[in-house]
This record gives sequence, structure tokens and C-alpha cells, in this order.
Amino acid sequence: MATVTDWIKHLTTDVDGSAVGTQVQGAIYPGVGSEGILVLIAFVIWIGWHVISARQESEKLSKLARRRPGSNAWKSNVTDG
Amino acid sequence: MTDQLGALTTIFTEFYYWITVVLMFLIHVGFCMYEVGASRYKHHQHTLMKNTMLIPLVTVTWFLFGWWIYWAFPTGPGLAPSIMNESAALITDESAFSAKWYVPNSDLMAVNLGDHISGVFWAAFLLFSWTAASIVSGAVIERITTFAFGILAIAIGSVFWTIDAAWGWHFDGWMLKILGYHDAYASGVIHAIAGGFALGVLAVLGPRIGKFSSSGEPRNIGPRNPWLVTVGLFLIYTGFWGFYAACNIPIFDLGPEYGMEGVTYWTATNIYVTPTTLSGITMNFLMSLSGGLLAGYVIAKGDPFWTYSSGLAGIICASAGNDLYHPIQSMIIAMIGVVIAYKMHYWVERKFKIDDAVGAVAVHGYAGFAGLVICGFVLNGYPSSGYSVGAMWDGTTYAAINPLGMFIGAIIMFFVLGMIPGWIIAKVLHGMGKLRIPREVELAGLDYEIMEAAKDDEKSVASSSS
Repeated sequence: MATVTDWIKHLTTDVDGSAVGTQVQGAIYPGVGSEGILVLIAFVIWIGWHVISARQESEKLSKLARRRPGSNAWKSNVTDG
Repeated sequence: MTDQLGALTTIFTEFYYWITVVLMFLIHVGFCMYEVGASRYKHHQHTLMKNTMLIPLVTVTWFLFGWWIYWAFPTGPGLAPSIMNESAALITDESAFSAKWYVPNSDLMAVNLGDHISGVFWAAFLLFSWTAASIVSGAVIERITTFAFGILAIAIGSVFWTIDAAWGWHFDGWMLKILGYHDAYASGVIHAIAGGFALGVLAVLGPRIGKFSSSGEPRNIGPRNPWLVTVGLFLIYTGFWGFYAACNIPIFDLGPEYGMEGVTYWTATNIYVTPTTLSGITMNFLMSLSGGLLAGYVIAKGDPFWTYSSGLAGIICASAGNDLYHPIQSMIIAMIGVVIAYKMHYWVERKFKIDDAVGAVAVHGYAGFAGLVICGFVLNGYPSSGYSVGAMWDGTTYAAINPLGMFIGAIIMFFVLGMIPGWIIAKVLHGMGKLRIPREVELAGLDYEIMEAAKDDEKSVASSSS
């Protein structure tokens, strides 16, 4: 998984590892090459968040709507601080 | 990086954009304060959370596709050929600034020793995206669901504003070439589009309960915490400094870029690679803020909410041309924009029963629209792009800035990419029954159960003997 295990080698060798002495520039995060999977996971998290949070919100709003508190009822819930 | 001067230039640029990102974060802090201060007590926490949650939603989608859109869409597609590959298709080839490099699985979209700039540039644009979504957020408080707002925030923040940026901000954008569009500090590409989008949503969402009397007369639902509102607007002003700086390229050698043989000319430029100075735009920023405040104070008869908002509207109106205006021109343009925004707000409210809770459509939409139109007249004849003056990439020419092109540009920003998409998406969400909270909840307050739980906690603590 580690992309870099030796900084000197990493900074002086090209991507193919054939030209020692050439300054390289490139990605240094773990798992270079696995970006596609990471993007897929990000999509699942994003869409999943909408699904879960929308369900939570619907339940919460329906529950409160069924209780029908008056428009001034909230005032009795003001805390003293 | 092997040469010291090159490294200094690169790392200065990297740090410059990083600072703008930090400053622009204050815009969002300001918007949150502003909205909470404008909302009623029983909706405070929901109002705050709605605006807060746009941060992760727009950020993740900006990573996944928003940034890609900016680099892919400058040609329309199909409206004007790219100066890089001479094709009018989406720019996804091997060109230097192709969207190919900005897909989410690109190794440039991460820590990469070969690229010190893409990340901070991505972030600066992302902060613009938050602003676009946050503008909409204020207009719809106290009656929209968080789910619907999240979808709308992604639409404006990661799709529509980035399309307009590709069209009217990108150096290769078709609006520069065909219309001579010029919008240095985003009167249109952020403000007019977000204001228009908010108006489209409001038309479907409807007003807050009690906003209009049975005879249709509007009632004022003023800010519940004017201090929070005004301090929030101060913070938005502060963040706006970062916004202005982020719209510039801090250090650029125009000599080779313009094809001037043997000439070296280092300067700051606007986003279109035409020269300006950070010094000059700072004067214009302050003079347009001042013009806005002066006009707002008079027209609103000293009302703090409108006076502060007018300072912002003034800057927004002058922003399109603040890279070139004289400071006094900036001030006058700001004053004109404020009068238009204020008058339009109340006319639209009365005529169409639009409840824009924080005046976002006026401050951003109408002032931005007016700013574009005015810019077309005041900067008539200036080159719209640095690439119309040189021979870096041969072939395509760019139209000069002109009144008609800027007017059409304003229509595109406000209506085509703003109001119409906002209205359509809101209609779909409304059709799904997901746009607006139930009437009972709106009356009770979105925070009713949170407040009730806090009261119960307080009671149990107060009754405790140990």
C-alpha cells in the first residue's frame, strides 16, 4: 500500500524506476492506482447519506405534524439558560 | 522544482490561493450568522444546520464532478471551438488544461509533488460554490426541507454555477469569444446566477405562513437578532476580500503569454489573463462598498438590515468591472445597483408574492444583473481576454466587451442557468412532496422537539437534589 518507503529513492527515480538521478514528481498517497475504488466508495457514501438523512427527516417531520403543537407552544419550551 | 525562482513563484502562488480559501471561509460563517439572525427563534437550529450541511454536500460533489465540469464545458459544448484543440466538443482530450486531468480518480486530485496549484485552485473555486449555494439558502429559510435544500445546493453549487464559470470565466469560455463577456469578480457567474436560481425556487416554494395578508399585502418579518445579522454581514465583507484575491492570478509573465518577443512583464492579472493590480482592486472594493452603504442608508431610511445588505450589493454590482474601473466609477455603479436591487425587491414581492426572507435575490441577483449590464457600457471596447491580444494560441479571436454581449450574458446567468433550472428542480421536488415542510411543523417551529428536549433536560437537572 505504501507508495513511498524511501524518500531519497522516491525523489530521484522516475516513475518506472529506471532512471535513477532524475527528479520525479508524482502522487505520494497510499494505494496509488486504487483511485477508482475510492471514487466508487465516495459515491456510495454521498448517495447513502441522502437516503438515510431524508428518511430520518421525513419521520421527524411526520411525527411532529401529527402532534400539531400550536404556533405559540414553542414558547413554553424556551429554557432559562 | 529545481530552480529557486520557479519554486518561489509556484509556492507563493500556492500560498496565495490558500490564504484566499481561509478568508473565504468567513463568507460562510457570515452567511450562517446572517441566516440564523434573520430566522425566528423556533427555527434557529434547523436554519443553521441547513446552511452548514451544504458544506460537505457541495464539497463532495465538487470533488466528484463539479471541478470536471469547469474544465470540460468551456466550448458549450458546440458553441465555440477551443483555442487549445480547435474542437467545439467537451474538452476531455490530452490538452494541457483538459478535464481529463480533473476526473475524481486522477492522481492530480490528491497530494502530488508534481502539482502544487491544482488543489488550492480547486479549493478556491469550491469556496465560490459554497457561496452560490449559501445565497440560495438564505432566501428559503423556515419552510424548505433539508433534503430538498441539499439537492438544490448541489445543483447550483456543483453543476450550474460551474457551467457558467466554464462559459464566462474560463480563459477558453465561449461567452468571452462570442459575446465579449467580462465579469472579473463575479457579478454574474456567482451572484446573478445564484439570485436567479433562488428566485426560481421561491416561485415554487411559496411564502412563509403569514407573510402576506388575505388581501395579498406583504407583511414584514424582520430579523429576530439584528446584531447577528449585521455581524454576519461584516464577516461576509471580510471574506469577500479573499474572494476578490482568489479571482486574480497573483503573478504572471504576460510577455511570452501575449507573444511579445523578448518582453518580460510580470503583473497580477484577472482570471481572463488581462493585467490589473491587487492595489487597484482594493481601492475599488472599498469604494463600491462605500457607495453601496451610502445609497442603502438613504434609500432604506437608515434600516440596518438593508444598509448592510446594500454594502454587499454595491460591491456585487461593481464587481464585473472592478479590475478596470476608477474608484469613483465603482462607487457610482454600486449606488445605482443598490437602488435597482432595493426597488426591484419590493416590486417583485408585491407583484408576484415572492417571499425572499433575506433579500438574497435582490442583493445578489438584481445587483449582479445590473452590474453586468453597466459593465458592458463602461468597459465597451476593452479586450475581453488576454488571449485576444496575443498569439499564444493562434486562430480564434475573442469579441471585445460590448453592451449587447454583456446584456445577453446577464440573461444567460440570471435566467438560463439560474432561474429556469431552479424552478424546474423545485417543481420536481414539489411533485415528489419533498420540497416544503408540513404546515403544522412550520407553525410549531422546526426546532420544536429539540427545544422540548432541552426543556425536559433542564427540568430534570433543576429537580435533582444531588
